[in-house]
Amino acid sequence: MSLTSALSIAQSALFNTSRQTSIVSRNVSEAANPDYSRRYAVLSGAAPGARISEIRRAVSDVLFRQNLTAQSDWQGQATLSRGLETLKINVNGIDNASSPATMIGNLQTALQTYAATPSNRTLAENAVEAARQVVRSLNDGAAAVQALRSDIDRDIATSVDELNRLLAAFETVNEEIVAGTRARRDVADAFDRRDALLKQISAFVPVSTITRADNDMVLTTTGGVTLFETVPRPVTFTANHTYVAGMAGNAVYVDGVPLPAGNGGNTTASGSLAANLQLRDQIAVQMQQQLDEIARGLITAFAESDPSNALPDAAGLFTWADGPGLPAAGTLENGLAGSIRLNPAMDTSAGGDPERLRDGGANGAGYIHNADGAASYSDLLNGYLDRLQQPMSFEPATGLGASQSLSSFSSEAIGWLESLRHEAARGSEAKEALATHTATALSNETGVNVDEEMALLLELEHAYEASARLMSVIDEMLATLMEATR
Amino acid sequence: MKISFVSTNAISQTLRYQMMRMQADLVERQEEMTSGRLADPGRSLGARAGFSFSMSREVTRLEGLVDANSLASGRLSATQDGLTQLNTISQEMLSTLTAAMSGVDDTAVVQTSAKRTLETLTSVLNSNLNGEYLFAGINTDVKPLNDFSDPASPNKAQFDAQFLAYFGFSQSDPAASGITAAQIEGFLDSVLEPSFMGTGWQAAWSNAADQTITSRIAPNETAETSVTANGDGMRKLAMTAAVLTEFLQMPVGEEARRTIYERTTTMVGEAIADLASTQSQAGIAEKRVEDASDRISSQIDLLKTFVGDLEGVDPYEASTRVNALLTQIETSYALTARIQQLSLLRYLP
Repeated sequence: MSLTSALSIAQSALFNTSRQTSIVSRNVSEAANPDYSRRYAVLSGAAPGARISEIRRAVSDVLFRQNLTAQSDWQGQATLSRGLETLKINVNGIDNASSPATMIGNLQTALQTYAATPSNRTLAENAVEAARQVVRSLNDGAAAVQALRSDIDRDIATSVDELNRLLAAFETVNEEIVAGTRARRDVADAFDRRDALLKQISAFVPVSTITRADNDMVLTTTGGVTLFETVPRPVTFTANHTYVAGMAGNAVYVDGVPLPAGNGGNTTASGSLAANLQLRDQIAVQMQQQLDEIARGLITAFAESDPSNALPDAAGLFTWADGPGLPAAGTLENGLAGSIRLNPAMDTSAGGDPERLRDGGANGAGYIHNADGAASYSDLLNGYLDRLQQPMSFEPATGLGASQSLSSFSSEAIGWLESLRHEAARGSEAKEALATHTATALSNETGVNVDEEMALLLELEHAYEASARLMSVIDEMLATLMEATR
Repeated sequence: MKISFVSTNAISQTLRYQMMRMQADLVERQEEMTSGRLADPGRSLGARAGFSFSMSREVTRLEGLVDANSLASGRLSATQDGLTQLNTISQEMLSTLTAAMSGVDDTAVVQTSAKRTLETLTSVLNSNLNGEYLFAGINTDVKPLNDFSDPASPNKAQFDAQFLAYFGFSQSDPAASGITAAQIEGFLDSVLEPSFMGTGWQAAWSNAADQTITSRIAPNETAETSVTANGDGMRKLAMTAAVLTEFLQMPVGEEARRTIYERTTTMVGEAIADLASTQSQAGIAEKRVEDASDRISSQIDLLKTFVGDLEGVDPYEASTRVNALLTQIETSYALTARIQQLSLLRYLP
């Protein structure tokens, strides 16, 4: 009896060892998979011998949740930083080289040079050319801002589709886990998959998890809106194909509740959706308003007046779609930066005369100041230069000072974007570090260490050898017994 | 039971992440070291980037102003030069007249002197700098003074017409010898002087504008930086020279000639005073431009210092940091290699 039971114990030990070896081999093979949690066998004594009672997954809920939040925050910040970078490059250019502020500065210098020698027609051409660059910078900037908005809109639409797909996949995996848990099946692989899906979902929206009976999981956004509860909740969004200035974008609805946008350079946005909404509805919109106000300031500063005050002021060097009338003072005119253009009456390539800049009269003879056509008349030019430095009132919604000169308004616009970038850079440094740190901590808690598995393998090898040895000894003993009784 | 645990994945991830951070840092520090300026001033300075930008722009604008001022300075010093010449020629005219009055009456000498004065006046007032007539006011594309010696020119025609209207005969008429001193006084007082000092000047003599060139010499300061040929001094000098050249050609009597001398002497004297005052005005403008340029230059220096303080990077510090980073990265490479080799697998049979 005891020899037979020894044999069966050795047998079960062999079986245990091979099970464990298979776990080790699985662990080693998944060592590089960040979504894989280390498995380990739990042995329990059972007469005769020991048996593997269950296979556990290494888990750390706290670290996992921290990591989810950190990932969401970092994704949000990274999205915002990317958007700001795009705006910076496409609107202001490297070193602000193509920004409206730089172009206005160039125009100022060109005007100054022209005012010093008004008899020189080449300098007039030069000043008009500088004005053309200002117009181009504003037109291109406005186009870039709206292009960014529609790009973001597309990105949001793709993200929402992806999110719905992930939630559907989550449903399948969650069902598998619930069913498996009820049936006492090994659902470790399904857990891995569910964790991986959670990480992917948290890249789009910040998620909080609640685990219920049978490992059933409920997902809510950090704001408390249910994302998944037994079934996925619909995330809906209607995309716009094109954007124009002043047009509002559609919200993203999670279970019928609009998703809030982020705020600030070191953004409160968690997940790429909130950051994208912030870019599309706040930052890009404000930037467009700033460009529009710069355009309005230019049209106003270069407006022509009638020397006898009989005719109303009219658009001079810069005009717009509704020209030659002037845009209303102190009021934002949506899309002006896109529609501002050089007055054809002063543009040589459109058959105009650049010297009208010196003499006036782009809107007809009634606006001519230099009636005698004196070659060195500089009063109007000096007047324009003065007006660029005089305070005017701007729309406060632009986020910049409401009363200042056009010149300083345009450079404050640069400061505004740079301060957002500065904050964003600081924010992403901290958030990136946190995301990396929590990922490392989580991996250290639940990941695989190959060396440890190897050490385990050595142990198992010895155990296997010992069991095998035991079996052969028992075999010999039994053989001896048989021999004796023959 | 294990106390501490590290996963193989975390080890390599951490190494990679640290390496990436250091390399990104190295690129920026290296750029800073070579350019002496922040790699991304906007990101580092934040809202202050706006100040630094507007200061750099202001520097460009002020430099443009200094350039424009040098143009105005050049114009003013050329103007001064011209005015000095006018002054000299007036002085010469005056001494010739004084000599003539004090008995040495050689009509030819006075006449030559008058002609020379007229020529100099015409050439100085018509002088040109960079394609602009210096004394034309803002009308710089038109020659300011008509040439009196040209019989077809309007000022000569005006003079002839005025003479004919007053005396009833032309200058070449033999009756001219009968012109009395009183007639001359009358002609000068009632015809020539009102014409020269009034509208007749711009109608026939000068094409210059009264308005002088206004230049912006500092961001919020403008100055008149030219002198117009319509100044009193120029008019009086022109009148003197014209009267002398015309009347001395005629066989006028002794008494009449004396009157002409007396009157023109007074007039040249006035012209000299007027020219001197114009010269001092130009001098004041010159000084203002110079002062403005000096002021702007020191402003530029100051602004450049500010921008340098904001955007500049100490090249020594940057280079030290680059060296430190290089050492760190090398150490990290060595460590990575060692750590990757560190595996139990290598020791298992």
